[in-house]
Amino acid sequence: MKKILPRYYPLMPVLAAYLIMFLIGFFMPGMWQMVALLAFYCALGQSWNIFMGMTGYVDFGYVTFIALGTYGMSLGITYFAQYEWLGIGIIGIGLFFAMFLASLSALLESFIALRLRGAYFAIACIGINEGLRYFIEGARIWGGSEGLIYFGALVQALGRDTVNQLTSFWADFSVFIIAALAAFLNIHYMRSKIGYALTAVREDEDAAKVMGINTNKYKTIAFLTSGWLGAGVGALAWGLKLGHVYPGDVFVIHYTVECIVVVLLGGAGTLMGPVIGGLIYGLSKYWLAVIMPGFQLLVFAPIIIIIIVIAPEGVVGLLKKRLRGTKLEMFIE
Amino acid sequence: MSLLKLENITKRFGGLVAVDKVSLEIEAGEVIGIVGPNGSGKTTLFNIISGVYSPDEGNITFEGKDITKLPAHKRAPLGLGRTFQIPRPFSSASVRENVAIGAMFGTLSGQVSVDDSLKIADRYIELVGIETQKNKESGSLTPVEKKLMEIARALAMKPKLLLMDEAMAGMNPKDIDHMVEFIKRIKGEEEIAIVAMVEHIMRAVVGLAERVIVMNFGAKLVDAKTEEALTDPRVVEVYLGHPPDESKWKSEIWKKE
Amino acid sequence: MVFTLLGGNLIQGLLLGGVYGLATMGLSLIFGVINVVNVGHGQFIMVGAFVALTMFTALGLSPLVAIPVALIIGMALGFLFFYTVIHRLIKAPELTSLLATFAMGILLEEVVKLIFGADFRGYNWGLGKITLAITTIQMSKVYAFIGSVVIALFLYLWFSKTRLGTAIRSVIEDNEGAQVCGVNVGWIYALSFAIGIGLTVMSGVLLTMFIPVGINPYMGGVYTLKAFVIAVLGGLTSPYGAFFAGLIFGLIENGAYTLFALIPGVAPFPLTVSLAFWILFFLLLVKPTGLLGK
Repeated sequence: MKKILPRYYPLMPVLAAYLIMFLIGFFMPGMWQMVALLAFYCALGQSWNIFMGMTGYVDFGYVTFIALGTYGMSLGITYFAQYEWLGIGIIGIGLFFAMFLASLSALLESFIALRLRGAYFAIACIGINEGLRYFIEGARIWGGSEGLIYFGALVQALGRDTVNQLTSFWADFSVFIIAALAAFLNIHYMRSKIGYALTAVREDEDAAKVMGINTNKYKTIAFLTSGWLGAGVGALAWGLKLGHVYPGDVFVIHYTVECIVVVLLGGAGTLMGPVIGGLIYGLSKYWLAVIMPGFQLLVFAPIIIIIIVIAPEGVVGLLKKRLRGTKLEMFIE
Repeated sequence: MSLLKLENITKRFGGLVAVDKVSLEIEAGEVIGIVGPNGSGKTTLFNIISGVYSPDEGNITFEGKDITKLPAHKRAPLGLGRTFQIPRPFSSASVRENVAIGAMFGTLSGQVSVDDSLKIADRYIELVGIETQKNKESGSLTPVEKKLMEIARALAMKPKLLLMDEAMAGMNPKDIDHMVEFIKRIKGEEEIAIVAMVEHIMRAVVGLAERVIVMNFGAKLVDAKTEEALTDPRVVEVYLGHPPDESKWKSEIWKKE
Repeated sequence: MVFTLLGGNLIQGLLLGGVYGLATMGLSLIFGVINVVNVGHGQFIMVGAFVALTMFTALGLSPLVAIPVALIIGMALGFLFFYTVIHRLIKAPELTSLLATFAMGILLEEVVKLIFGADFRGYNWGLGKITLAITTIQMSKVYAFIGSVVIALFLYLWFSKTRLGTAIRSVIEDNEGAQVCGVNVGWIYALSFAIGIGLTVMSGVLLTMFIPVGINPYMGGVYTLKAFVIAVLGGLTSPYGAFFAGLIFGLIENGAYTLFALIPGVAPFPLTVSLAFWILFFLLLVKPTGLLGK
């Protein structure tokens, strides 16, 4: 049996958490929906964390990647459904388009990151989101503001049974996979040259350059990775389930807010953070939706403010500080 | 072939000429000191050499290769190391991680793994004497410890040319003597061929530098062997404001050092 | 024919530009003094719009009255947010103040939605129109423009002639220098933030002249983006630059709308909105410090 490198120990609690969540959802009746929702937030948080936690750049328009992922998948399905011989491979095509579109956006952000930092970068990213959304509507591409209804095409390509299976199980299951992948990439980067480079970039970009770090290369790696993961979530979790995509539904800033809450609650830049944050946020949202529907943002906006002011390192950040120097430290990251 | 060669380097900021047609050459194995009053352009010169600023005129050659237009991050792997006047640690990272970054992206870039870099870091941390702080967050170090970490980090890059910008500022005389011995020791080792220092602390300059370049108002005033340079009347005038009473002054300075 | 249409729209654009400029002055002021970018900027404009709406429909008062009310409400909100949140974040990394102002904006949206509901509302301040050679313009828009110019001028005088205004300018120039001269920087921060928010809310009132039916809790987001582009255009820390950049932006926006409307098969309105982003992108390529900045 291969020896697990100690650098990957912090991955164990994360994967354990995902496994437990999956088992609960799979075996306990009625729990799948909730668990899928939790996994969604964990996956998003984990993916956004690679971007923000590692580089220190805040992408307020992160939802663009998710939206482009969804569009990628729906475009793939819409235009390739006619080739019935593709079968399930059509999902691969959709995923490919999703990744391609996400790459364009990530490269654009990389370019912007050359010229802008901090607040300006954050707002420029909102600009990308709004700009894309209104451009799609204005130029009437990809179905314009009405969007694409591709459910029919999906059924045509895969048959009703497969589609049912997809929407009820496989789409959500793939979110678990992405969450696990994101966690793995997160820790892998953190402990590798990439992580060290990004820490330097985050702390002092000019000093990093003098140390020999090609800051643009590493930022781009982080942006691309984070973008692909986000697009993956969009393509699989939404793309396969929605059946209809239009700009007003997917290029919505409030999903970025949710990413921020998840990561902030749990601890930005940590590995476990997004998981804990995802769980807390997902559960709270689920219960709030039952008790006080429509009020989630009203509740969470002041919570974000309070967390920022009082505990900017989040739950895991505080935990890390407490455990520094103890044996448990190597499991918490 | 000289290690570093600057030809007519000029840098302007708006109307101010910060560096004025400076030319100099450094051979491998030399230690040279760069001195001059505040504002004479020393740090700007360092910034140009390491690539933070690009010169308006002139060129820079390193080991025969023209690096004038080369971006900063490509200079480090060639062997150009640098410490900053005010230390710039990567605050949230530990001391060990900071120094390891030096190893990862310096001349050994691409040849060492993360674990190797950490081991190299350990060695240099011990060398400068801050092992007790090895795992502490670098942002929480004392100013002197930060300076030592800067040096360790720069050394971990295994540079061929190390630019040290006022590395001794803020140290007491005992620490300065310790540092001077330390630098003499490094100089002897093969990995680091040369140290160029910008200093106000004459004790250190005289102890280490074979040659001194004196700058004033961005231009090179004097470039000569240490004793010659520091007793040159023009240099004295720059520091004191008037030409020296030769006989009196010459004996004074050598008495102290 | 196109040219009269274009000319008419350009004039409308200029009028709107004045309001845009005024709105952005608040953003630049806050950034210049405290170095905080108010990502919730658009939501404060939205608050102003609702102030005007409520005063007109519920109290029957003309928007002219709403202007000073908006200023007071804006400054009150400004002081409130400053002392509860912003003032703790001045020394914190940029990210935290970004997120905090972002969350503030969301909070405003939700609270307004709670009180007023999410529907699109509007009102009509029927003052009649004025006819120029190439176009007819509603008087209310002209008043809005005059209002924005007057307020901007007043600000200019206030900044240059009064002690307090000079104190603020000194903090923008050189924070530490100002402290050494005895300026109570903490209070200046609070005041500048409050004034900045006040300006923003006021501009929301003026803006309603141009959006007869579009008032809703979520209208703010688009204006944040536009304000940001204008601020970058005008040089981020110069409130005066912001005003002129606003005028330019208004011109470009309406000119583009006219041209887009001529292209078959596109929807000109959303395309114009996305224009803000393309301008920003172009600016970043060409001159990141802004056209009028240093």
